[in-house]
Amino acid sequence: MADAGLIAIGAGIAVGITGLASAWAEKEIGSAAIGAMAENEKLFGKGLILTVIPETIVIFGMVVAILLWLNM
Amino acid sequence: MLLPKQMTRVLIVGSRGALKDTIEVLYQLEAAHLIDFSAEEEGFSLGAPLPESSDASQKLLKLRSLEKDMGLDDMDVSGSMDIAQVDKDLTSTIIELEAEITGATESKNKISARIGELEAEKAVLLNFQALPLNLELYRDYDSLKVFTGKVRGDPTAALKAAAPQSEVFISDNGDFIAAFVIKAQADEAQKAIAQFGFIEMPAPAGNGAPQQLVARADEELVTLRSSLVEAVKKLEDLKDKHSIFVKAADEHLSIIVAKAETPLRVGTTDFTFAMDAWVPTSEMPTVEKAINEKLAGKVHVESLEVMSRREAHGHHDAEQHDAPVEEIPSKTENGKTVSKFEFMARMLSTPKYREIDPAVTMMITIPIFFGLMVGDIGYGIPFMILGLIGLKKCVSDEWRTISTLLFFGGIWASIFGLFMFGEAYGIHFAEQAHDMSWSSLLGVHLPHEIAIGGFEIPLGIYSKLHNVKEILYMTLWIGIAHIFIGFCIGFYNKSIRFGFKHAVIEKISWLMILVGGALLLLFLVDAMIRGLTVELTDIRMLIALPLIVIGILMAYKGEGSGAILELPGLMGNIISYTRLAAIGMSKAGLALAFNTIAFEVMWGHDFHVMGSNSGDTIMLIAALAIFLIGHLTIFVLAIISAGLHSLRLHYVEFFMKFYEGGGVEFKPLKVIRKYTTDKNGVSE
Repeated sequence: MADAGLIAIGAGIAVGITGLASAWAEKEIGSAAIGAMAENEKLFGKGLILTVIPETIVIFGMVVAILLWLNM
Repeated sequence: MLLPKQMTRVLIVGSRGALKDTIEVLYQLEAAHLIDFSAEEEGFSLGAPLPESSDASQKLLKLRSLEKDMGLDDMDVSGSMDIAQVDKDLTSTIIELEAEITGATESKNKISARIGELEAEKAVLLNFQALPLNLELYRDYDSLKVFTGKVRGDPTAALKAAAPQSEVFISDNGDFIAAFVIKAQADEAQKAIAQFGFIEMPAPAGNGAPQQLVARADEELVTLRSSLVEAVKKLEDLKDKHSIFVKAADEHLSIIVAKAETPLRVGTTDFTFAMDAWVPTSEMPTVEKAINEKLAGKVHVESLEVMSRREAHGHHDAEQHDAPVEEIPSKTENGKTVSKFEFMARMLSTPKYREIDPAVTMMITIPIFFGLMVGDIGYGIPFMILGLIGLKKCVSDEWRTISTLLFFGGIWASIFGLFMFGEAYGIHFAEQAHDMSWSSLLGVHLPHEIAIGGFEIPLGIYSKLHNVKEILYMTLWIGIAHIFIGFCIGFYNKSIRFGFKHAVIEKISWLMILVGGALLLLFLVDAMIRGLTVELTDIRMLIALPLIVIGILMAYKGEGSGAILELPGLMGNIISYTRLAAIGMSKAGLALAFNTIAFEVMWGHDFHVMGSNSGDTIMLIAALAIFLIGHLTIFVLAIISAGLHSLRLHYVEFFMKFYEGGGVEFKPLKVIRKYTTDKNGVSE
């Protein structure tokens, strides 16, 4: 069995960096969506949806972390 | 029906004299979606508004400005009036109202302006109050120049140096001065005080001690303020008295104007008119009958074409073909429950005439996903109650949609919470080996399952935090099933639009890849996670590989090389469904943290011992407070994360497989009355 500490660090990196990545992407989309909404309030729904799209990145990270954790 | 209602394109032609009656009849039928006349056709020109439009518009303009004065412009008023009544009083009441309201508003504005003026004067006077001089002493000198104003610091010494014969008065707090300087030395003096940040403030007009003037201003302010209150009250009274009439008249006139301006969308010649419209095929007989009966001989209705679902130009590029192909409007007819979900689908896009309205599919899966992510009866029941209240009280589409989501999602959350996860507020019912439970907390034995008539119904099969593997695996299958349904709907949409063969190439190919991938998943789980020894000639591999290869080849043929790039996307889509597990887990983790702080740390509960605690009542109260705040946080987060993510799974992963959207909503000529009633009905 691999070193538990290293696995834990790996899981942490997987979640942490993907979290940062989604945050970065969402920041860009979010500010653009707010801009679009200022022009046309009806875009709220679309803006909201577009903003959460990058959330998938961190979910992938979390899945990887969980898989690592299950192997601990 | 899942598809929008079938439409017929109709042409209504008649003599121009009958135009008004035709419009009237169409408004009553509420079945015709007018196509704007494009002024390109030879011999035709745009119709002119009916004569009543200009008078009504004028009155409407007046009313709207009155509404603004009364503060009614975006307010809701309850009640309604009959239009006969509105019509009768319209002209006289508008004139009367205009006089009253304009008068009241004007006097109110005048008083407010005077109050503002007085307050400014008073502010100046308050400065002079600090000096022991009467106001008349500040002016009318032949040889003296007077400086009055604010300073920072005491300039007396500097002033005396610059202008020895000057006289300086300074307020007690040292920030206001009055300096009397001989005119010849005025420039020097000004330079000297400028260094102390002098800001000039000329003495106000008037005689006597500033104190007296301030007192007088105060008196006047008191009277003015009370008359302002009166003026505001008068306006309020007027508002209360006339609000319904104003709203009703506004609505009535708007309807008149809308009807009178309808000819602007119609082509006319000198003696005839021609109207192009969409009518639902099922309502064609009614429309024809009504027009033939009421406008016999003067107007003729002709059904031009019953629109089929098949795309006229065969292939994808239907949109790029010659421009003036009018979009066929989609009229969806959903039941009471489904229509609550319509707004969610519309938020993304309106369905096209030639595709399935996704609201039905959303109604089924959105609450299930929401429930799975929440999966806790402790939140499920409050969600249900909140949703029910929302559905009762809210009017706006947005809030109603959220309430719908909460209500149906709450039902599923309770079901999953009770039977699948067996927990309330992140705490399991029955005793657990490694965690606290309601049993241990309350000191009562709660069962692991209940038996109803020979069936053992489990209360909690999985724990969100201890059966991660199983739940993750389950969510992958939910994803595969959901996407499978998506491709099936996509197949149906494509086959009605472009034909069976096209649909097979475009959608069956992906279905094959998906099924192959699912079999491959089964194989891989055995090989990699369960650690079983499997042969490459396993039956699942033997079926999966050909399915995937053939699927890819078909997709390549249908969509070109882009299809290959979409392959990882499909895998990503499926993995994306693991968020159902991940979000449930994150909520369970938060709940565990709060519960541990509250009960184990503060109240001293030991879950190995039933009903144990070492804390006293005060600690119990503190623990309950933490419990309450913590779970309220999770509850609110659940709305945002579970609600948004279940929507997103539909919009992104699911809809991409079949939904195009971008349709035009069916908007028939019709009258919507809110503040008015029409007792006479037809003979309006």
